[in-house]
Amino acid sequence: MQHLIPIGLNHYLTISAFLLAFGLFAVMTRKNAIVVLMGVELILNAANINFLAFSKYNGGIGGVMFSLFVIVIAAAEAAIALAIVINIFKIFKSVDISSVDTMKE
Amino acid sequence: MHSLIQLSIVVLLLPLLSFVILIFFNRRLPRRGDFVGVGILGTAFAISAYIFWTVIVQTYDPAFRVAWDFTWIDLGKVPGIGHLQIKMGIVIDNLTAIMLAMVTLISLLVHLYSTGYMAGDKNYGRYFAFLGIFTFSMLGIVLSDNLFSIYIFWELVGLSSYLLIGFFFEKDSAADAQKKAFLANRVGDIGMWLGILILYSQFHTFSFEQIYANLAAGKFAMSNAWLTAAGLLLFMGCVGKSAQFPLHIWLPDAMEGPTPVSALIHAATMVAAGVYFVARIFVLLTPDALHVIAFIGAFTAFMAATIAITQNDIKRVLAYSTVSQLGYMVLGLGVGAYSAALFHLVTHAFFKACLFLGSGAIIHAMHHEQDMRWMGGLRRHMPWTFATFTLATLALAGLPLTSGFMSKDAILAGAIGFANVEGGGIYYLIPVLGFFSAMLTAFYMGRQIWLVFFGESRTHLKPADNHHHGLDAHSAHDDHHDDHEVHEVSWNMRAPLVILAVLSVFIVYSPNPLDGAEGWFMKMIKTPATVVGPANHNCTALHAETPSPLMAEAFPAVETHGATDAHAVTGGEHAAATGEHAFADPRQAEIAHAAHAAHFPAIYISSIMVVFGISLAGIVFVFRIIDPDKTAEAIRPLYLFSLNKWYWDEIYQSTFIKGSVLLSKILSWFDTNVIDGIVNGVAVLVRNLAFANNSFDKYVVDGLVNFTAFSVNTTGAVLRKLQTGKVQTYVALLLVVLFGYFVFYFTRLIY
Repeated sequence: MQHLIPIGLNHYLTISAFLLAFGLFAVMTRKNAIVVLMGVELILNAANINFLAFSKYNGGIGGVMFSLFVIVIAAAEAAIALAIVINIFKIFKSVDISSVDTMKE
Repeated sequence: MHSLIQLSIVVLLLPLLSFVILIFFNRRLPRRGDFVGVGILGTAFAISAYIFWTVIVQTYDPAFRVAWDFTWIDLGKVPGIGHLQIKMGIVIDNLTAIMLAMVTLISLLVHLYSTGYMAGDKNYGRYFAFLGIFTFSMLGIVLSDNLFSIYIFWELVGLSSYLLIGFFFEKDSAADAQKKAFLANRVGDIGMWLGILILYSQFHTFSFEQIYANLAAGKFAMSNAWLTAAGLLLFMGCVGKSAQFPLHIWLPDAMEGPTPVSALIHAATMVAAGVYFVARIFVLLTPDALHVIAFIGAFTAFMAATIAITQNDIKRVLAYSTVSQLGYMVLGLGVGAYSAALFHLVTHAFFKACLFLGSGAIIHAMHHEQDMRWMGGLRRHMPWTFATFTLATLALAGLPLTSGFMSKDAILAGAIGFANVEGGGIYYLIPVLGFFSAMLTAFYMGRQIWLVFFGESRTHLKPADNHHHGLDAHSAHDDHHDDHEVHEVSWNMRAPLVILAVLSVFIVYSPNPLDGAEGWFMKMIKTPATVVGPANHNCTALHAETPSPLMAEAFPAVETHGATDAHAVTGGEHAAATGEHAFADPRQAEIAHAAHAAHFPAIYISSIMVVFGISLAGIVFVFRIIDPDKTAEAIRPLYLFSLNKWYWDEIYQSTFIKGSVLLSKILSWFDTNVIDGIVNGVAVLVRNLAFANNSFDKYVVDGLVNFTAFSVNTTGAVLRKLQTGKVQTYVALLLVVLFGYFVFYFTRLIY
């Protein structure tokens, strides 16, 4: 088992980077508003992982506190965003994000 | 205020009232209001006669003088001038009283005469209005006590003469004559005004009395030449108004006016204004100025007399004789024969008015025929006119027992005395020209009397081509004239003739027919003591001590004038007699004395000259011993020279008038090319500048504004594309920017 490398900061950051990439990918490519919101959640959680990882290796409680705030804000954001999506659906009869472009030029 | 002053103001304003009434209401009054004019002038004459009676007959004092003035305009302190006050005033002395009576009398007679002469004219009422304003202006000149108001009335006289000369303005010749008269007068008036300004600049007053007081006190700060210039410039007014040599041309043409107007204006009063004015300023004239005046007068007298002998128009002969007689008056003033000149002014006014009114009667009777060549034989038809005209002619010629004799001889005696005192040979030219003119006067008046009144009627000799009747009707028409139509004029035209003729007899002026000096006139009008003379006395005394042997031989009676001491005493006495100044100019006294001494020589010479002139006229025109036509042929250049009035009109035409036209053409050229060029150039410049400015606005300023708008618009159009409304696009952009930031940031970090 000596081949096993102890889990270090880089691993966390790598995971977090992947999460961010996936989140971005979801946000930028999905047409479904719900999926886009899910992507946003992924990005937020990637940030949370970063906070916690740096908090663990850096000592102190600041990162943990920050991630707690992010979770709370993410919950609030999800609530508001879902309410918006519901209203969009009411108006456009669709949650296709590409069809919601009445504010363009 | 003296009661005479009050009366004289009434006299002055009455004719103005007549003018105002007649000019506005003549059409609403019966007879066009001529009775208003005659009545008002009658009143004015009655008051003037009372003034005359009070001043001349009752007071009988050579030094009588009342004056009154009031401030007319007070401008207060004027920068650069000082206290500027213009006063108006009235002065009454013996001269004023005489002139007042003379002007109103002649004006009254002319008014009366005009009721007959002008009857039926379509502008009858306006004619009397003009006579009124003329009389008003003339009285204003007579009464003025200062240069300013005399100048105002002077111009008013010019205006009224303009109106009256051009009364028949439908005729081109009358319109031309009025313009000529006005312009000639203006030339003189400019000089007069400059003279007034010279005096005002020195003394800051227009009043005669104050100017003379200042001059006598030696307050004239500039050189004597300026004083001479002032005198000569003032004399220029007289040259214009009294038709003296360079400006005499207007008076003969002024005969285009109605004949009574010629009597009033161009014989008796207006032209007398110039002489009157010179008499008023006499005391400030320097000896040099007086010499110029004397020569101008003598030359005018001679020249006009030579012209008069060949004129055919009855009024033109009289007109030139007027110019000639005015020359005598100016000559008289120039030589210092002050009272003689004014005496001649008054006597001439009466007999010349009589002559003009008589010629008017003739013209009226002849149905506006003025050419003497076609008259003749009128004495049978017009006995009254004949008698009065002849009497006045004798007075004009200067035959003894007439008023003209006394006054003319007094002037000529003064001229001889003057020449003796001055002593230079050239000064004898003045009396010689005077005597020669007297001879010519007798000659041309004899010719006129003969042509008009004697012989047979020559009406039928008139060439038919300018007659308005056809050839066949011509002789019948003339017979008609002779038998029925040439008749004596009515009483209202005859009465003035008789009154004026009576006033041409010697007894009115002096008990002694040979010596005017014994009469009331010469006793009342004394030569005033000059206020500028003494400075030049030394040189005249030198002259006086070297009398010309020629004249000493000719006039033994004046030989003793070289004794200057005796004259100084005489001068002192003279001054004491006039009572005006404590001193008298010895030169003046000398001339007066010499003139007195030359009295009898003057009488002899002028009587001989007059008799010779009349005899010559008789020889030529009555007995035809010398045929006038052949003589005229024999001396044709001289005859033409005289007939064409010395070519003065042509000379003025080719010099002054052509010169003026040329000058105006040059100025017009200058105006159109240079002034207009400058103006147009400036306009073009401004226009081009405006175009340039416009282009700058249009292309640069507007361009900047538009470019700003355009660039904003373009930028907006480009950036607007980014606003897709798609969330993913925004995220992508965010990432790009973020990526760009990181690239930038890390690049900074690395290097």
